[in-house]
Amino acid sequence: MSNPKVIVISSDDEKFPVDPKVAEKSLLMKNMINDLNPDGLQEDFEIPTPNVRANVLAKVLEWCEHHKNTIFPDDDDEDAKKSAPVEEWDKNFLKVDQEMLYEIMLAANYLNIRPLLDAGCKMVAEMIKGKSPEELRRIFNIVNDFSPEEEAAIRRENEWAEDR
Amino acid sequence: MSFPSASDLNATWSYIQPGLEFILGAQGDQGVTSKMYMNCYTAVYNYCVNKSRHGATATSIAASSENNSYALAGAEIYNKLDEYLIQFIRGLSKEANESFLEFYVRKWTRFTIGAGYMNNVFDYMNRYWVQKERSDGRRDVYDVNTLSLLKWKSEMFNGNADTLVSEVLTLIQKQRDNEIVDTSLVSTAIKSLVFLGIDTQDLKKPNLVVYINYFEHKFLEKTGEYYSRESAQYLQDHNVVDYMKKCESRLAEEISRSNNYLEEHTKKHLLDVLHVVLIEEHAPEMYAQFLTLLEQNETEHIQRMYKLLYRLPRTLDPLADTLEQYIKDQAAKALEKIKAASETAQSDGKPVKRAASGAVDPKTYINTLISVYNQYNDVVVQAFSKDTRFIKALDNACRHFMNKNCIATPTPKSSCKTPELLAKYADAFLRGTSKESDTVDMSPDNLMVVFKFLNDKDAFEEYYRRSLAKRLINGNSKSDEEEESILQRLQEENSIEYTSKMTKMFSDMKASEDLKSSVKEHISESVVKDFNPLTLAQSMWPFNHLADYELKVAPELQDPFDKVVEIYGAKHNGRQLKWLWNHGRAELKANLARKGKPPFLFTVSNVQLMILVAFNKKNTYTFKELHSVVGTAKHIFEAHLLPFTKYKLIDQSPVGAEFAGNDDTTFTLVDEYKSKKLRVNFISAIKTNETKTEEDEASKEIDETRRNYLSACIVRIMKSRKTVKHNELINEVLPQTLSRFQAKIIDIKRVIDQLIEKQYIQRIDNNTYEYLS
Repeated sequence: MSNPKVIVISSDDEKFPVDPKVAEKSLLMKNMINDLNPDGLQEDFEIPTPNVRANVLAKVLEWCEHHKNTIFPDDDDEDAKKSAPVEEWDKNFLKVDQEMLYEIMLAANYLNIRPLLDAGCKMVAEMIKGKSPEELRRIFNIVNDFSPEEEAAIRRENEWAEDR
Repeated sequence: MSFPSASDLNATWSYIQPGLEFILGAQGDQGVTSKMYMNCYTAVYNYCVNKSRHGATATSIAASSENNSYALAGAEIYNKLDEYLIQFIRGLSKEANESFLEFYVRKWTRFTIGAGYMNNVFDYMNRYWVQKERSDGRRDVYDVNTLSLLKWKSEMFNGNADTLVSEVLTLIQKQRDNEIVDTSLVSTAIKSLVFLGIDTQDLKKPNLVVYINYFEHKFLEKTGEYYSRESAQYLQDHNVVDYMKKCESRLAEEISRSNNYLEEHTKKHLLDVLHVVLIEEHAPEMYAQFLTLLEQNETEHIQRMYKLLYRLPRTLDPLADTLEQYIKDQAAKALEKIKAASETAQSDGKPVKRAASGAVDPKTYINTLISVYNQYNDVVVQAFSKDTRFIKALDNACRHFMNKNCIATPTPKSSCKTPELLAKYADAFLRGTSKESDTVDMSPDNLMVVFKFLNDKDAFEEYYRRSLAKRLINGNSKSDEEEESILQRLQEENSIEYTSKMTKMFSDMKASEDLKSSVKEHISESVVKDFNPLTLAQSMWPFNHLADYELKVAPELQDPFDKVVEIYGAKHNGRQLKWLWNHGRAELKANLARKGKPPFLFTVSNVQLMILVAFNKKNTYTFKELHSVVGTAKHIFEAHLLPFTKYKLIDQSPVGAEFAGNDDTTFTLVDEYKSKKLRVNFISAIKTNETKTEEDEASKEIDETRRNYLSACIVRIMKSRKTVKHNELINEVLPQTLSRFQAKIIDIKRVIDQLIEKQYIQRIDNNTYEYLS
C-alpha cells in the first residue's frame, strides 16, 4: 500500500481517515504510531480516541490538516509562545460557541496538541481581558457566592489593580 | 468495555494493569494494540483530570503543603506504578539453561522497550504532575521512563552487579583468547550500565558513574593482568621483533573493541593500561634489541619499535640516548680504521697522496664523516619520522665525533684539526687544477653538513680564507659562481660578519680588474705583454709583506710597476702600497731553443724573473754580482736560484751544492736549453719552509682573533652592566662565542687579566669586576 492512513475513531465510533502527517500534530498519536510501528507505518492504522466526540474531533482534525506543514516554535521557549498573538486563521477557526471552544481545548489537552491548546487559552484570555467582575460572571455564567462584606474586602485589597 | 470511575484509584489501576503487562512483555511477546494503548492512556488521563478538577488531594507524596492553592493529581497513581514495577522486576526469572548474562540482556532489552511505551502511556501524568513536582524541587519524582530504569537498577542490577560484570569480563577474556562469543551480550550489558547512570539532580546530564564504578575499574584491572601475563609469556617463547608485531595487533584489537562496545571515556584509560603493560614494562627488552637492529640496518623493525614506544613518549629518551652513543661509537670505529689504513700505507713506503706527514687525506676524512652522518640521517628520517628527539641525538653525536676523534684530536689537548681538513677538502674540489675524477664525490653540500657541526668555525674561516686567497691570486678557481655560492651559504648558516673578510677579498679582485685595464692603457707592449697587478687589503688577506723578499726590479720592467703606483695613488690618496714579491708569478718567453724550434715558456717566481732578466745583459755572473743585481736576502736568493741549476738552465762552476752559495762561484746561462717540454715551471722546485710557517701563522692568527673577540665581548657586557660577578661574566661570554668557537675558561680569564692591565675594567672585590669608562 502506497500511502497508509491513520484512521482516528471518535468516541461515537465515527472514523476519520487522515494523512499520518495530520495525525502526528497530536504528540500522543505521534508517539503511539512510533511505539507500535517501530519500522514505520506499513498499513492503515486505527487510533480510538475514547474521550473525543465526532463533532469535536472533526474540528480538531481540521485544525491539524490546516497546520500539517506549520513548524511550531520549540516547546521550551515559553516567553516567545506567551507573547505571540493568535494568528488570524486560528482566531477565525476558534470563533465558535463557548461550549465548542472548551471541548476543543479539552481535546487538545487530551491529545497533546500544544499549539492548539495555547491558541484556545489565548482566546479565553482575550474574552476576560478588560471586563468587570459582573460582566465576567455573565459571560461565564458564574453565580456570585461572595457576601457583600467579602466582596468589599477583596475590592479594597485589589484596589491597586483597578484600571483607572 | 467501559472506563472505570475516574475517581476510583483501585478500579482505575485494575483497568490499566493488564495493559501494562502486555507493554512490559509479561504476557510473552504478544503485540500491544492501539486500543489497549489508548485505553490505558485515557484511564490515566481521566483519573488525573478528575482528581485535579475536584481538588481532591493534598496527599501527593510529600506534603505538597497546605498553602498550595491547587494540586495536580498523580501521586497515587505514580505510587501504584512504582509498586507495580518493583513487583514486576522481582518477578522476572531466569530460565534453567541460560546464563545470568543472557537472562539479564534478554529481559533488559524487552524492559527498556516497554519503559519507553509506558512513558508515553503515562504521558499525561508526566506532562503535568511529574513536571510540577520536579519544578517544585522534588528530586525523587521522575518521568516514567526514568522511574522504570531506577527500579531496574535497584531491583535487578544492584543485587547482581558482580555476577553480571564478571560474566561480561569472562566473555571479553574469551574473545581475547580467540574464542567466538556473542558480542551483542557484552555490548548490551555494557550499554545498560550507561543507561542506569542517572543523575537524580539533572536527568538530562549524561552520567557514567555506574559504568565506571561497576565496570570500567574492573575491566581495566583485568586487562592489565591479562596482558601482563600474556606479554611475559610471549617474550619467553618469541623474539622481540615478533613481540612488537604481537603488540601492534593486540593494540589494534583492543582499540577496535573499545570502539565497538565501550564508552569513549574508557579508551584513554584502556590505552594507558595497555601502554604500560605492553610497552613500558618491556621497554628494556626492546632497548636491548635496538643495537642489534641498528647493526643489521633493519629500518622497518626500528620504525616499528619507534612507533610502539612513541605511544608512551617518555620511553623514547633512552632509545635516543642509545642511538647517540651508537653513532659516536660507529664514527670512532670508522675513523680509527681510516687512520690505521693511512699509517699502514705510509709504513709500506708507498707514496700517499698529498702526503702531509702522518696525516689522513682530507677527502677520505671528510667523506668518512659524511658517510656516517648520511647513514644515520637516513635512519632518523626513515625509522624515526624526523622525530626531534632523534634529530637531536644525531646532532649531538655529530657535533661530538666531527670535533673530537682520533684524527682531529690525536691527543686530548690538541686543538681540533677538522676545520683545517675541511678547508683542504673544499680547496681540493674548488681548485681548477684538481682532476675531475678525484672530486666527483665531493660537494659543497658535504662541506656545509660538516660545517654545521664544527665547534671552531673561526678556525675554518681562517684556513678556508687562506686557501681561497691562493685560489684567487693564482687565478685557479674552478668556478667563480661556485665560490660565491659557498660564501653565500656560509653567511646564511652563520652571519654576515663571519664572511666579511672573504667578501672583501672578492671585491678586491674585482677592483684589481679595473686597475689592470687602466694600467694596460699606459704601458707599451714591447717587453711586458701582459701585466696583472692585484691590490689586496692588508688585514683581509692572509699575506704578509716580507722584508727578505725586497728585490730590485730590473730597469726594463720598471715602467709598469711605477704606473700601478701612480694610477692607484691618484685614485686613493694616502694609501700605502707594498709589493708582495713572495706572491705572484711571471711567465716569460726564452729564446734558447735550437734553431727552427719554438721558444720555451718558463713559469717563474718574481725573484727568478729578475735573475733571468739579468742574463739578458751578459751570460755569466758571479754569485755576488748576481745577488747584488737581484737584491733580497741571501737565503731567498739561493733558494730561487737553485731550480735553474737543478734543471740545467744555468751552469754552476764549480759544480756541487757546497759551492752554490760562495761569492765567487760563477753562473752561466746555457746557449741552448735541452728540455723536452716547451713549458717549464721553476716555481715548484723552490724549497722554503713556508708551508710550515703558514700553518703556525694560521693558528697564531686564530688565537689572536679569539682573544680580540673575547675582549670585545667582555667589554660590551661590562659596558652595559657596569659591575658583574666573575661567574656571571663567564656564563654570559660562553654562549656568545658558540657560533664561532668554544671558548675555554682559562682563555677568558687571561683576557680578563689583560683588560685589567689595560685598565678597561678593575677588580672591586675578590669576585666582582667593574667597568672603567
